[in-house]
Amino acid sequence: MRTDSADGIPRGTPITGLDGLLMHPAIWRGRSLAPIDTHATGCARLDEALPGRGWPATGLTEILTRRPGLGELRLLVPWLVALGRTQPPRWVSWISPPFEPYAPALVAEGVPAERQLVIRTDRPLWALEQTLDSGACCLALAWPDAGAPRGRSRVRPRDLRRLQLITQRHRAPAFLFRPLEAACEASPAELRISFEPQPAGARLQLLKSRGGRREPFELRWDEWHRGGSRGADVRQEPSHGAP
Amino acid sequence: MARRERVASTRRAFTALGTAPGTALGPAQPPPLESLFDTAPESWLALQGVAVADLERLAQLAIGFSPRVSLEPDAVLLEVRGSFRLFGGARALCTQVLARCREAGLAPRWSLAPTPLAALVLSRAGRGVAVLARDRLVGALAPLPIAVLGWPPAALARLESIGVRTLGAAQRLPRAGFARRFGPAAMADLDRLTGLCPEPRRAHVPRERFRTRRDPSFEADTAAVVLRETEPLLIELEDFLRARQCGIDLLMLRLSHRARDAEQGRAAIPLHTQLDLRLAASEHRAATFAALLAEHLARTVLPAPVTRLELRSGRLRSVVAGSAALWRPGEHGGGLARESPALIERLRARLGHDAVYGLCLVPQHRPESAWRIAEPALPSASRVAETPARSGSVRRPLWLLREPAPLPWPFTTLQRLEGPERLETGWWDGLDIARDYYIACEPSGAEVWVYRERLPPHAWWLHGVFG
Repeated sequence: MRTDSADGIPRGTPITGLDGLLMHPAIWRGRSLAPIDTHATGCARLDEALPGRGWPATGLTEILTRRPGLGELRLLVPWLVALGRTQPPRWVSWISPPFEPYAPALVAEGVPAERQLVIRTDRPLWALEQTLDSGACCLALAWPDAGAPRGRSRVRPRDLRRLQLITQRHRAPAFLFRPLEAACEASPAELRISFEPQPAGARLQLLKSRGGRREPFELRWDEWHRGGSRGADVRQEPSHGAP
Repeated sequence: MARRERVASTRRAFTALGTAPGTALGPAQPPPLESLFDTAPESWLALQGVAVADLERLAQLAIGFSPRVSLEPDAVLLEVRGSFRLFGGARALCTQVLARCREAGLAPRWSLAPTPLAALVLSRAGRGVAVLARDRLVGALAPLPIAVLGWPPAALARLESIGVRTLGAAQRLPRAGFARRFGPAAMADLDRLTGLCPEPRRAHVPRERFRTRRDPSFEADTAAVVLRETEPLLIELEDFLRARQCGIDLLMLRLSHRARDAEQGRAAIPLHTQLDLRLAASEHRAATFAALLAEHLARTVLPAPVTRLELRSGRLRSVVAGSAALWRPGEHGGGLARESPALIERLRARLGHDAVYGLCLVPQHRPESAWRIAEPALPSASRVAETPARSGSVRRPLWLLREPAPLPWPFTTLQRLEGPERLETGWWDGLDIARDYYIACEPSGAEVWVYRERLPPHAWWLHGVFG
């Protein structure tokens, strides 16, 4: 199609009414649908599966596991490394983590230990709200069900909705690590992922997302862009029985 | 600004005493008998020989004796002529000043002279003398070594080479020749010494604190009411700080409670609750104080209704007011100078000091000692915080258990992936270990870090999780 070099509007397009005017390429509409802002996960297969090809840079994400510490944190390590290089420095807050984040391992992966802020509290949602509200954190990781009786979630959908609105308002990402039982509860989170460990990898399914892959898919840690090769070497040789 | 009252006219007798129209009112008060025999309008007391850190305390103390106090690099000077009458003469005043110093644990050298420089020089030379009359001053100064003036060593050496070793000898030199050889500044020093040339001193302004209190018209019994009653005080504090362009990092709120009723079995005891607000960075806005106080009050149990609120500030610290940001904090590379401490303060106010911490690496081989809790502090933006990944080192779990736990799975269900890695010793600080670490895969597929003790009973422990 020939275009008029002067204004970029295709020749012959009848300019009638508001819609026609808005087609002008110089007009940018703030509310127009934009692709969501994401960060690369560091794994090509996970990028493909997620909406927007990466971790959402804004909003609430839930990762559901049977119990904490099954390997779900490893999904976020490449992003933590990338966040460690941003300027000006901002915190990554860890709210009621189930164990102690081990600084030597983080540093070995390239995550700067001095940007991690650990908050121990029995009111994780309040702390999460404060960290998101302050603007001093670039990522908030929270374990809101820590200490709750087994099979019972401490988080009400109303609280989650509130958190989701805060993440939207402050354009901040928050990750909630919750038990698998929470999958049957309603949640306003934009992205919900169930995580199942497997030998040398993990099985993920997007329970709720705006686009992305529906069916479960498997990840192998050796596909991971960093730190995977060493783990793969170990697992390729059959193990010598129980230690 | 304090208006200094001046003498408009004097009688002849006072003029003879050195009081002329235009001098400060203090010296012009009807003089006590002793000063009829001296002719100096001022008397400076020099206190010297205390540690530099104590000088400000000394000046603070001196303000109780004279409004004209000046803080020198190595001494405190106070003009005491105006206070003679109040304290009962020079001797009584000096005795009281020194007694007060002794109470404060300070033992300064002292001397009293009609000019500030002479007082300084006398006290530097270690002469605890009181020279009240100006005509006795020259004689008192004459035997002092020339070095007490603190002139540059080259000038002192040249004076020494022409045989001038005392102040008296220097003052006897011809003025014109002295000024030509040693400069007008040195000449002016000598003139100031004897009062030929006036020497104004910068007045010491005592450090200010904010302190105010308020008795509510009714008894406040809930935290919300207390907070509402405190707010006017906080606004007053903000105005106070704003006028001085200062901030504070410590704020104390003292709540006085109604005395306990006598019929409850005890005599009436006044109760107090003290709330200390410590801020990570100096602050002056009432809204911030109110928010932090609200957190503190929410955690505090009021034992009885509050009848009085008292607000006191810590020392004032100068703040440079920043302009308000257009962007949200952290957005578009906006700075975080204020947001980061504010977040930590708010979290700590509610959750307690120890609930919020950072991480820090320790160069240690034992897993428990290789990290520790650190005071959270973001690296400054200017520093390039590039953490190189140490890929060559051995694998460590992302999660560490605070205490090693017994294995939660049957031992035989574990599958070895890596190991053993032997970690030993630590006898020097009482945490001796002898362990063989393995990376293992537990039944559900997750990787764990387990170890076996090398000493009997060779127990297996879970120490980390490769989350």
